Amino acid sequence: MRKIPRVGIIGIGQSRHQARRDDANYPELVREAVALAMADAKRDFDEIEGVVYSLAPDALLGITNAERQGVDAVGARNKRFMRINTGGSTGVSALAAAHSHILSGACDLVLAAGADKVGECGDSQTILNKIWDPIYERALPLGTITMLAMSAVRYMHKYGMTEEDMARVVVKNRQHASLNPNAHLRTPTTIDEVLGSRVVSWPIKLYDACPQSSGGCAMVLASEDYIKRHQLDAVWITGVGHSAESYYMGDRMGIGYSADHADAAALGEAIARAYKMAGISDPVKQIDVAELYAPFSNTEFHAIEAAGLAPLGQSAAMLRQGHFHLGAQNPVNPSGGTLCANPIAATAMVRVAEAALQVWGRAGAHQVQGAKRALGTGNGGDHQFFGAMVVEA
Amino acid sequence: MGNGIKVGVVGSAVVAPRNPERVSLEEALHLATHAALRDAGIAIEDIDGIVVAGNDQLDGRAITVMMASGSVGGVSRDILATPSSAEHAFVLAALRVRSGIYRTQLVVSWSPLETQDIAQVQRLSADPYYHRALPLDEMSAHALQAVALESKLPGLREAAVTITQNNRMHGTRAYPELSPAPREAVLIEGSRMLRYPLTEGMVCEPAFAVVAMVLASDDWVDEHPGRDCAWVNGMGWATEAAWLGDRDLSALPSLQAAAAQAYQEAGVHSPQGAFDLAEVADATAYQQLLALEGLGLCERGQWVQAVERGDFSVDGTLPVNLSGGALSFNPLFCSGLLRIQEAANQVRGRAGAHQKRAVRNAVAHGASGPAMQYNTVVVFGHDPRKSTQ
Repeated sequence: MRKIPRVGIIGIGQSRHQARRDDANYPELVREAVALAMADAKRDFDEIEGVVYSLAPDALLGITNAERQGVDAVGARNKRFMRINTGGSTGVSALAAAHSHILSGACDLVLAAGADKVGECGDSQTILNKIWDPIYERALPLGTITMLAMSAVRYMHKYGMTEEDMARVVVKNRQHASLNPNAHLRTPTTIDEVLGSRVVSWPIKLYDACPQSSGGCAMVLASEDYIKRHQLDAVWITGVGHSAESYYMGDRMGIGYSADHADAAALGEAIARAYKMAGISDPVKQIDVAELYAPFSNTEFHAIEAAGLAPLGQSAAMLRQGHFHLGAQNPVNPSGGTLCANPIAATAMVRVAEAALQVWGRAGAHQVQGAKRALGTGNGGDHQFFGAMVVEA
Repeated sequence: MGNGIKVGVVGSAVVAPRNPERVSLEEALHLATHAALRDAGIAIEDIDGIVVAGNDQLDGRAITVMMASGSVGGVSRDILATPSSAEHAFVLAALRVRSGIYRTQLVVSWSPLETQDIAQVQRLSADPYYHRALPLDEMSAHALQAVALESKLPGLREAAVTITQNNRMHGTRAYPELSPAPREAVLIEGSRMLRYPLTEGMVCEPAFAVVAMVLASDDWVDEHPGRDCAWVNGMGWATEAAWLGDRDLSALPSLQAAAAQAYQEAGVHSPQGAFDLAEVADATAYQQLLALEGLGLCERGQWVQAVERGDFSVDGTLPVNLSGGALSFNPLFCSGLLRIQEAANQVRGRAGAHQKRAVRNAVAHGASGPAMQYNTVVVFGHDPRKSTQ
């Protein structure tokens, strides 16, 4: 692969994610994150040459092509503008598209932005049921929770994960989130509390599941040339990768499966592609912090393994031994992760934003000391689309 | 700025089933992908990435790229989706090749007819609180734009009917099996009024199609001689404001901005005379007029005369939409990509019955969204432009 130049991140903006934002309509919510990112980057809107709009299912907002409503929120009139949608991985895919805008030479300065109001759409699972085939699959109680509950069952069978192991992820992430003012769910919890919470789709209980969040995220990317010319402070995207599973969940089960539904092989592919570009050969040593998209506690395990931070099937045992906590080896989701905030259209961008804040030394109370290299990932569709980004100081 | 990597179109295909109700979308996507790969002489293993574009609501899927991914070779591959427009999928794919990360890209877009009421689905794009009660579908947006132009240029309707006729004549030659819409002025003008001033004859029925294209870097093309390539010498894209009330519907500053980006890259200083032909947005003839103006090919003071002279006909000084355009065949969502595909094919010498002789340079324009909200311009050349670095 040819040597790929690095692309800088010069500004980050993020909402304080919460259940409802009755004080801001959808474009206003996008604008909030954009204004924060632009202020952080100390740029005027005139300088932005292109915008990549991060918006997952329109159906969650109830407006077809809702990105059109956001054109002015992102200051894109008469400018380059496109919208990306890869489901839950949209945020990292939007950043990857912005990254290509810059590396192609088309733009020096690109804004990537989006927001969601998942908490205000009624019932997101009813809507997410509609991502499946209308004739064969939709009549099943298929939602992202039931889909990943099946993954949990398989992972338990394959590797011996327990409900307690899952609860341990929640305890870890809530503890992290209590230190992150932007997280939605910030109350620390205990294993007993998680185990005692209402079963949604066994083994996933209420506390094992991400919240429905309203919030936004925006980032300003710039070419190295621009950053040097303007003498700006920046952190660097050095690796990007995407891959995808088969859409059909049946292909991930039974005899002759193409991928095991317990694992996240395609996430592993996406991460491997990003690592290759970034020159990472030993992630345990070289990745100081990982913000891994995991909307349910069980999915954090196969994400950790896909990132090469634990051998297949071993991450639950390693978590028991104290790995992956803030302050321990290979901290995972020091922000609290998707489990503690999930404004779907923006969530995967938040993962990369948090990774960037870490290597920038700006993660405040949830800072991983001395972090220089971080990984951010996103998952989308029915655990189908995966994106990964390596960010370095 | 930039790394000198060039990108070109090396293959494409369009699948337009005669009986759409008998072909599943997944199968059509698969057919189109294979046909484009064959046209490019490339195996799926050599496709480094894919960008697709579909509209969730037309498809009846909350995340339509999910359904499409397998059919287009997306499993274990880097695949993104740009639901904003089909043209944006082309743009992103071209940017990805030019980034140096990918040597090849597959672009696929589609527009099915499966939904019960397309207009009703389109109305879901209106703001739910203030505009949803209005019949704001694409036909209404086309009509509002036509009215805005007519109010500035009374008598434009005759030119619009002539353009409709011309494009239909082109369509009959290019794709006789796909162009059932009327060609005669009396039928065009005299048919049922749909949304004033647009009659049924002045637009084309929605159609089902899948468009697939293969893009490759100059490196790849050098290593694989014998491919007919249309080089992307310039590319630009931009958006209008979203709220129709914030816009002057008789103007398209975003198209001017997009054309300026594309022409700057391509080194085109004087667009009139720079191209052998153009493929532009023409869901209505009024769109074509706005497109020609925005592309610097015909200012509005010249519209009526140019149309009367036949400038945009097959024998004219600037043939426009030799494919027949969306006035002849209208696969709604992927129409814009079809314009790009047609222009590329002309430069590649692959345009079949409607191939113009010796096409060296062509310009393509696609517009999507209400009243041409998104505008994308691509300048194709038989020869790659010289590097400006």
